[in-house]
Amino acid sequence: MNTTELGRFDVEALCNAVNLGLIIVDADGNILLWNDWIIKRSAIGEADALNAQFADVFSEQLSPAFLTAIKNGLTYGLPSVLSNALHRSPLPLYDNAEMQQAGIRIHQSITITPLRCRLGERCCLIQVADSSTAIRREKVLRSHSETLRLETITDSMTGIYNRRFFDEHYKIALAHAKRQSHPLSVFVVDVDHFKEYNDYYHHLAGDRALRQVAAALKSQLARATDVVARYGGEEFVLILPSLSTQSAADFAEKLRCAVLDLAIPHSKSSVSDLLTVSIGFCTFVPNTDCDPCELLHTADAALYRAKKNGRNQAVSFPLARPENKQMQVKSDLTLP
Amino acid sequence: MTGLSSLHLDALTEIFNVGAGRAASSLSDIVGDEVKLSVPSIEIVRPDDVDGRLLAQSDGKFSAISQHFSGPFDADAVLLFTEETTLEIVRDMMGSQMSIDEVADFEQEAMCELGNIILNACLSAMADMLGITMDSSLPSYKVESLQDIVGRITESCDQPYILLLHIDLAIEKRHTEGHLIFLLSSASLNNLVTQIQRFIDGM
Repeated sequence: MNTTELGRFDVEALCNAVNLGLIIVDADGNILLWNDWIIKRSAIGEADALNAQFADVFSEQLSPAFLTAIKNGLTYGLPSVLSNALHRSPLPLYDNAEMQQAGIRIHQSITITPLRCRLGERCCLIQVADSSTAIRREKVLRSHSETLRLETITDSMTGIYNRRFFDEHYKIALAHAKRQSHPLSVFVVDVDHFKEYNDYYHHLAGDRALRQVAAALKSQLARATDVVARYGGEEFVLILPSLSTQSAADFAEKLRCAVLDLAIPHSKSSVSDLLTVSIGFCTFVPNTDCDPCELLHTADAALYRAKKNGRNQAVSFPLARPENKQMQVKSDLTLP
Repeated sequence: MTGLSSLHLDALTEIFNVGAGRAASSLSDIVGDEVKLSVPSIEIVRPDDVDGRLLAQSDGKFSAISQHFSGPFDADAVLLFTEETTLEIVRDMMGSQMSIDEVADFEQEAMCELGNIILNACLSAMADMLGITMDSSLPSYKVESLQDIVGRITESCDQPYILLLHIDLAIEKRHTEGHLIFLLSSASLNNLVTQIQRFIDGM
């Protein structure tokens, strides 16, 4: 657009037509432009604003961030953004008098850019956008996406996390434990003689029992960092950071007892009259040369040993050192 | 080689530490807790070396905030958010729980602002200490791989070197620490050297 073309427009009309607040401040902080959008939302007329000090025009003080941004524009020629997420509503601007009465400001996204005037002096253009609509849309989308995400990571039968979530979380937890050098424990829990239970008490009772076991395991978790998931069939997996080897052993025992305390009759079990679980677990201890990536395999191998040893018990294996990794027992657990 | 001696680098480190101090005070105002920023080192690297050095700390994509500066020397400045912890700081500031892929529109805007604060603070310190004025574009935000970023900022300039700044960020009260990378690629590195030399001579 060259100047001849620009000459065909009335710049003032243009400034008042845009759906955006426009303010121009000169190097001394005096207001040179105050468009209709701002007049309407600030309830401050052009006559009161023009040539007034920008810092004094509103009945309240500007935030330090706003002042720094203007200074950057005027002194250094550097543009700034004041994001809605960090500032919400820096200027006292309102949709209407009612909102002003209630003190509900419009959400703002502000851009401050230096502007060279015809006389060569540096001015500052302040653009104020109303981000309320964008925020509302964002909130709706976010709540939808959170609902959908919750569905994709939840096991529909038991209501706890599913394997998809666990696999994702396991990777993150491993990386975190390695980086932050804190212990990490994995517990694999398998319901003893579940096939017999299902055959004898039928599937509906089987499903009910799994739901009860899931709830019992979950009830043992106290921290936000602890996760229990259904790994598949009658197998559950738990991952907990920052437990000592002893605390991990105590916790495994608590898990075993929590299921036993449900007192679900199981007359076809070879171990007990009640429904029981076998648990294999393993703890990564930092500052050793062990690789925590083998945690899940090792816990699985320990579960296999617990089954071999007669079920209804918790068995722990230490994390294999790199040189004797090949000695590790491979689990033969099969999922239904 | 680059014309930048260790004396020049020391002067630049000093300038950027003044900038970091200004940025820290601005960030503290926003966060409401004391934010500490420091520039422990500045290096001159070849674009090819940037990969190895940075990828040792983080893999995959970076959140990059870029501004183009012009004046006595032209420069592309990119601030990279490397570790998860830095993202956590941003989320901490905004009270959000989203993952990097999900950083929604208005959070991107906040990232832009965070980068803008640090970049502007460094450049204003440079302007003050070197006695120069610079013009700048608005910050833009992009999630990119390191190769793309380095390719982008070196494409327009014939200089085979990039200034690489490490910036440490900490909010002690919240026990959060982070690490940022600031890449500065100049199409007129010689002019930058001249300005710094003037600054050193004037001291």
